[in-house]
Amino acid sequence: MPVNTGLADVSNDFLLAAVVIYAFAMLAFACDFAFGRKQAPAAGQVPAPALVGAARAEAAAGPGALAEVPAPPPGGAGTGSSVPAPAAGAGAAAGTGDGAAAGGRGRVSRWVAVAVALTCAGLAAHTTGVVLRGLSVHRLPWGDMYEFVTALTCVAVAFFLAVMIRYRAYYLGLFVMIAVVLVLGLAETVIYTPAGPLVPALQSYWLAIHVTAMTLATGVFFVAAVIGVTYLFVDRYARRVAAGRPAGADGILRRLPGPEALDRLAYRTVVFGFPIWTFGVMAGAIWADKAWGSYWSWDPTETWAFITWVVYACFLHARATAGWRGRRAAYIQLAGFGCVLFNVLVVSLVIPGLHSYAGLS
Amino acid sequence: MTGLRLPPDAGPQAPADELAGQDGFTDPEHGAPAARGPGGPRLGVTGWLRWGWRQLTSMRTALVLLFLLAAGSVPGSVLPQEGTNPAGVDQYYASHPFVAQILGRLSLFNVFGAPWFAAIYLLLFASLLGCVLPRTLRLAGSARQPPPKAPRNLSRLPFAASYTTALAPEAALQAAAQVLSGKRFRVRAGPGWVAAEKGYLREAGNLLFHIALLGCLVSIGLGGLFGYKADRLLVAGTSFSDTVTALDEFHPGRLVSPADLQPFTVALDNFSASYVTSGPLTGQPAAFNAAIRYSATPQGPVHRYTLAVNHPLVVDGVRVFLIGHGYAPTFRVTDGTGHVVFAGAVPFIPVETSGLTSEGAIKVPDADPEQLGFVGLFLPTAVDVGGRLESAFPAPLRPMVSLISYAGNLGMNSGPPQSVYSLNTAGLHRLPIAPQALAPGQSIKLPNGLGTLTYTGYQQWISLAITYDPGQLPALTSGIAVLAGLLLSFLVRRRRVFVRAEAAPSGGTVVSLGGLTRSDAAGGFEDEFSGLAAEISAQHRPPDTGPPGPGPSGRGRSGPGPSARGPSDPGPRDPGPPPGPGPSGPGPPGRGRSGPGPPGRGPSDPGPPDPHPSDGE
Amino acid sequence: MSRPLSSARLVIGAAALVLSAAACSAGATAQDTAVGNGSSFVPGSYGTTVFQPGARPQAPQVSGTTLSGGAFRLSADRGSVVVMNFWGSWCTPCREEAPVLGSLARRFAPDRVRFLGVDIRDDPASAEAFMRTYRISYPSLNDPNDQIALDFRSTAPPAGIPTTLVIDGSGQITARVIGPVSFDGLKALIMQASAERT
Repeated sequence: MPVNTGLADVSNDFLLAAVVIYAFAMLAFACDFAFGRKQAPAAGQVPAPALVGAARAEAAAGPGALAEVPAPPPGGAGTGSSVPAPAAGAGAAAGTGDGAAAGGRGRVSRWVAVAVALTCAGLAAHTTGVVLRGLSVHRLPWGDMYEFVTALTCVAVAFFLAVMIRYRAYYLGLFVMIAVVLVLGLAETVIYTPAGPLVPALQSYWLAIHVTAMTLATGVFFVAAVIGVTYLFVDRYARRVAAGRPAGADGILRRLPGPEALDRLAYRTVVFGFPIWTFGVMAGAIWADKAWGSYWSWDPTETWAFITWVVYACFLHARATAGWRGRRAAYIQLAGFGCVLFNVLVVSLVIPGLHSYAGLS
Repeated sequence: MTGLRLPPDAGPQAPADELAGQDGFTDPEHGAPAARGPGGPRLGVTGWLRWGWRQLTSMRTALVLLFLLAAGSVPGSVLPQEGTNPAGVDQYYASHPFVAQILGRLSLFNVFGAPWFAAIYLLLFASLLGCVLPRTLRLAGSARQPPPKAPRNLSRLPFAASYTTALAPEAALQAAAQVLSGKRFRVRAGPGWVAAEKGYLREAGNLLFHIALLGCLVSIGLGGLFGYKADRLLVAGTSFSDTVTALDEFHPGRLVSPADLQPFTVALDNFSASYVTSGPLTGQPAAFNAAIRYSATPQGPVHRYTLAVNHPLVVDGVRVFLIGHGYAPTFRVTDGTGHVVFAGAVPFIPVETSGLTSEGAIKVPDADPEQLGFVGLFLPTAVDVGGRLESAFPAPLRPMVSLISYAGNLGMNSGPPQSVYSLNTAGLHRLPIAPQALAPGQSIKLPNGLGTLTYTGYQQWISLAITYDPGQLPALTSGIAVLAGLLLSFLVRRRRVFVRAEAAPSGGTVVSLGGLTRSDAAGGFEDEFSGLAAEISAQHRPPDTGPPGPGPSGRGRSGPGPSARGPSDPGPRDPGPPPGPGPSGPGPPGRGRSGPGPPGRGPSDPGPPDPHPSDGE
Repeated sequence: MSRPLSSARLVIGAAALVLSAAACSAGATAQDTAVGNGSSFVPGSYGTTVFQPGARPQAPQVSGTTLSGGAFRLSADRGSVVVMNFWGSWCTPCREEAPVLGSLARRFAPDRVRFLGVDIRDDPASAEAFMRTYRISYPSLNDPNDQIALDFRSTAPPAGIPTTLVIDGSGQITARVIGPVSFDGLKALIMQASAERT
């Protein structure tokens, strides 16, 4: 069937619109950090010694004082030092505590509501664009690099929305949106490939299985990497605070939850994505076996998918090893995502192999 | 069972420590007490071996080996490898001779067969085995074990709740036990307490995952020993059988001999390819189809089949894949004596994809008076672009060849085997004819009575990959087991719930609940705990008057709950009491864990699929 | 703790053996004998196999069409020693041994030793030109489907090109040479097969 170029053009328009809407969402998240109202403690708040983070415990005046500190209310406003009358240190410490990440109730600031609404709108446009692209070429819309990138960013945003709502992790919005806008913008400009039929080697139902899984997993790891980067910044900030050193006028960092919370969130995300990646690699092996006769031929893309898998396995093991938790584990996780990026950007384009379906000349 | 067990009323400790001794929840110490190194008693050989073994099977070593495995694979993907790209390796040697020598010494052009790479994954799997097997034996031994005794002070657990009820302690415990066993917990009752445990599958899944990884490795090894791979380029109208003389390349496994090849025959009747004819992707292939006939044995019945990419032929356990295609122009060469010394198709190899321009060589070693050689291009759709011939489209719409002619000594009468696709011009002299492009039917008349070459037409060829891998099915099974084990170990939580009921001094019964989870990767235990607590307390309520006060106590590691919410906070299914401090709840307003979970968790941090016990801190 | 550990060690030792086998075979798949020399055929590992009396495989029924169009059946040659040579005009080692085969064929013709060629992946014109060049007078069979090679697969498969088989008067294969033959070597094999006939 011939390619429906009209639909393909409409798809491009929707994707461009999505980039623009995401950019505005990013701005709204940033405004929330800058102007978001600090929440007063809700009535009936319970004094809660928030114990997370040994650094914080030391920074606070002591367990007794902590027991009296009303917990900073949670909420996407990322409020921090709203606690009345604590010591400055405790206040700062409490700010980076679990508080802002906590569930429970808390009013969400207006900016966050706007930002989330914009993100949802952007996601709708994004999904429409991807679906239209698929309709225009009469197949699943992840057959070349451009389509793959648009699809995985769509997955990333959807997954991020789910995480954000489930864990009230509104603070992530700014960072994820920055990354998505960048990547999607790149996709629309540099990596863009016109809609067309698949090369014969890709015409198989395994495309649906293998590439879908890899797209999902990459989207999830994308979010995990953003969380990891955020974690590193927050962790550095927390250490500086704990050591009593001036930590810079970092309005954003003060409003983020503590490093432990981010660390756990990153871990959860990787745990979600790792089986999908494993399944994707296996599906790819089965497909390779059907197409080229060998389920593993150390093709560069295969090898880098394997390397990525091993690095994420390293991360999972590191979390259970003393001395490797925290920063080191975060570095490993980011190295894993670096492998994903290398695989998608460098290996597919530069290194020849059986996987050269990028569609770029 | 094995492992340390602290007495239930050990002194004030962090809850994690107190429960650390509960067997199965934290891995017991790694065997005997650490062998003391320098400064302590001297170790004999056994002692050093044991120390070495413990180092090998420690989590840290596994981390390092995993990292080395990943790092070691990097050059295997970036540098050309001998197995998949021998021409690239030669090219590398040619362009970077000095560096290539060093890299070759380090086996960096054959990473995945290199001894050091094998050492890494063998060590890794030894390390893995050394941890997984004892744990498997342990799991098998503990499969029927009942949960441990309930700790004395349940409020120290990360998830805790307590309330009073009018039921007698025994009745309360019985009701609790019923609820728990209704939820498929393994329940054990004792004087004044009930302990329940669930989620044994997690460890089983973990072990299954790691053992299945080993299974994958073994399957790959099986394939490597008994399998083989071969290539063959087949011109339309010809056929071949699976025998060594008919193959272009043959890579047998260690234990494969030529007599083991399955004796099938494949004949290519016709090959057709279609290309995109319009739009921005003009020239991209749209479909390939090869119409073949095959038979499994020489005298066996002949079947027809359409071979396409992603649709291999399976015959006698061997699979034949369509990998590529190209053109083989046909020529007739008459030598100086008038004999026809060559008449056949010569496969040309495509050098670019947009027009399938192909290169090849025609060697005529038996021409009289001089051997003849021709090298040049085949252009499926030849067009003149600024004085040069190029191919504009991959279909044979205007097929032409352009050849350079040589005569002399081809170097074929002795010496090492030559490539059939390229000409060794060392012993040849180029003939003084102006290069010309030939259309089908046209000829080149060679000077000095050396002969004539006529371009008579073209055929198409396909390249086939023939693979036989007896380890394929075991590898698939192992892969599925890997995934199953991974999912099990991630999704299943190992958790314990304890209930204690004691008569309260002021009448009634104080019921305390405690929950502990070792690995909560997927999260959600607090929801489960809240639900359980709600159900159990609901069982305890009648014939009680009014709702029990959910006054949770205990030092949970909680994020700051915004209000006092007991564990019996209404979940979607729970008809429990409304939130807020209950009327009869003693103690400070509760901070039970409830609500959608923040990332904050108890001390029992989610464990990854770890085959190794945590190294002691 | 020591008892489960030692039984585990036993299993581990066995598994280590399997792993080593896996490692060795991994080496086999990654780097192997007949990998792309670019010549588009498998030369095989050169060597001579001599079959001892009592362990000599029976040659299969070989029949086919000669290049000049005549029919040929191996069983018609019962009673004579037959030397079968798998060759191609495009194959350098085959060209190297061709003079040896030609002269041995002429030398042993009075002794009723029959030479037979099996032409692989060649067009008839090139094959005839080859025979003219090297003055090969014995016939060669065309084997376009590799059926003749297949016929020998369970006895003495031609595991490369060129391959030469020596078959004695009773139809048993006495020797197989993979690679170009030498004059003295092939002569000795022929004489051995002939001697045991009489």
